Amino acid sequence: MPQGSNDIKRRIKSVKNTNKITKAMELVSAAKMRKAVARVLSTRTYADLTWETIMHLVKKVDTTKHPFFREEKDVKNVAIVLVSTNRGLCGSFNSQIAQKVIDSIKLHHPEVVKTDIITFGSKGKDEARRRKLNLIADFPKNDITDNSADIHPIVSMLVKDFSQAKYDKVFVAYTDFMSSLKQLPHVKQLLPFSATLDERLGHIIHEKEAEKNNLENISEFKFEPSEEKVLDTFLPRLLEVQLYQAVLESEASEHSARMFSMRNASDAATEMIDELTLIYNQVRQASITAEIAEISAGSAALE
Amino acid sequence: MKHFKLKIVSPEKVLFSEEVSQVSVATTTGQITILANHLPLVSTLAAGEIVIKKDSKNESVMAVAGGLVEVLDQEVVILADRVEYATEIDEERAEEAKKRAELALKEKHLDSEEFAILSANLEKEMNRLRVARKYKMQGIRTGQN
Repeated sequence: MPQGSNDIKRRIKSVKNTNKITKAMELVSAAKMRKAVARVLSTRTYADLTWETIMHLVKKVDTTKHPFFREEKDVKNVAIVLVSTNRGLCGSFNSQIAQKVIDSIKLHHPEVVKTDIITFGSKGKDEARRRKLNLIADFPKNDITDNSADIHPIVSMLVKDFSQAKYDKVFVAYTDFMSSLKQLPHVKQLLPFSATLDERLGHIIHEKEAEKNNLENISEFKFEPSEEKVLDTFLPRLLEVQLYQAVLESEASEHSARMFSMRNASDAATEMIDELTLIYNQVRQASITAEIAEISAGSAALE
Repeated sequence: MKHFKLKIVSPEKVLFSEEVSQVSVATTTGQITILANHLPLVSTLAAGEIVIKKDSKNESVMAVAGGLVEVLDQEVVILADRVEYATEIDEERAEEAKKRAELALKEKHLDSEEFAILSANLEKEMNRLRVARKYKMQGIRTGQN
């Protein structure tokens, strides 16, 4: 057998091993995806309703009553919370969200470095560093965020910085889970709570579909015990819910993205194995034919 | 009796979304009952019970751990931190949880923040127990009559 066929055999073996690994990873991701999707769907109603509540409040309350409503005409300092993954092998998931962040920064400011980036997830940190963004804080992320306590540190930092007017606007960049086939990187304004959100950033479809309440009949809300008290108790919590939902959406998207990139890898490996097997057989057949030709030529010479 | 739409959601799920005629909730300032055409109101909830009446017969009771109630024009939304039907509370486990909370409160030397969290937990567990027991007693009474 010629040397070539052994090389091909070795390659087929190594591709087969890779195929096994990607298959296993696909199955693991599928299981994790199911869990993450169940969680994101169960909290989505709650998050959407709290978002609606914010929108109702914004239109009806005196916006000087709480720092979270403070809107600057001249937006100077902006912070973006970048929700990403800890692990790779999920296709263009992290680079897409990083690109989206850069695009949205450019809407506000020509110089990308003027915007502070807070990352949640280590791949986001790497992306931010590679793209030379102004990374100011990195919060470690668990692979599965199962408790809103995990995002408390970020929320308290945002609340503090925004209240002290360190930032004029705070955004969260996350990947919205539309379906297991489709995930959309999305940047959403968290603070200030504003009635006129930046339309350029686009809206997410399931949010838009939320039924619109008729607010025209409502002239004013009554607050108990007092407006300040209700706002003080609830606005930080509403903020936390929004951020938590963004993290859950991202996680569901991450696992779907990984499952699909692993499925693609497995498919590609299967294809490659077929191709290599064909080449191997051709080489083998060619060498057999050559040997037969040699033997018959030899015997013909003897006669 | 006029009806209005009531939605009760917690971070885990949508517990309730139906037309009802009245709902009573415990706000931080006291117990209030909301009927149709209530004026628009936003209030914080204390740990307590939610009593829903669809008509004069049907009544359901839930234990809630805190949250927010928002009264809109024809709709009431309750955003609860944690909420469950009184019938679904496992009394023994609620009792255990309460004991754990009490124990933790006694044992540890706590800073003020931890103390506040633990005593809030204790309050929530005691509320669950209270609602479950009350509901049970009512159930027995109506059963006898």
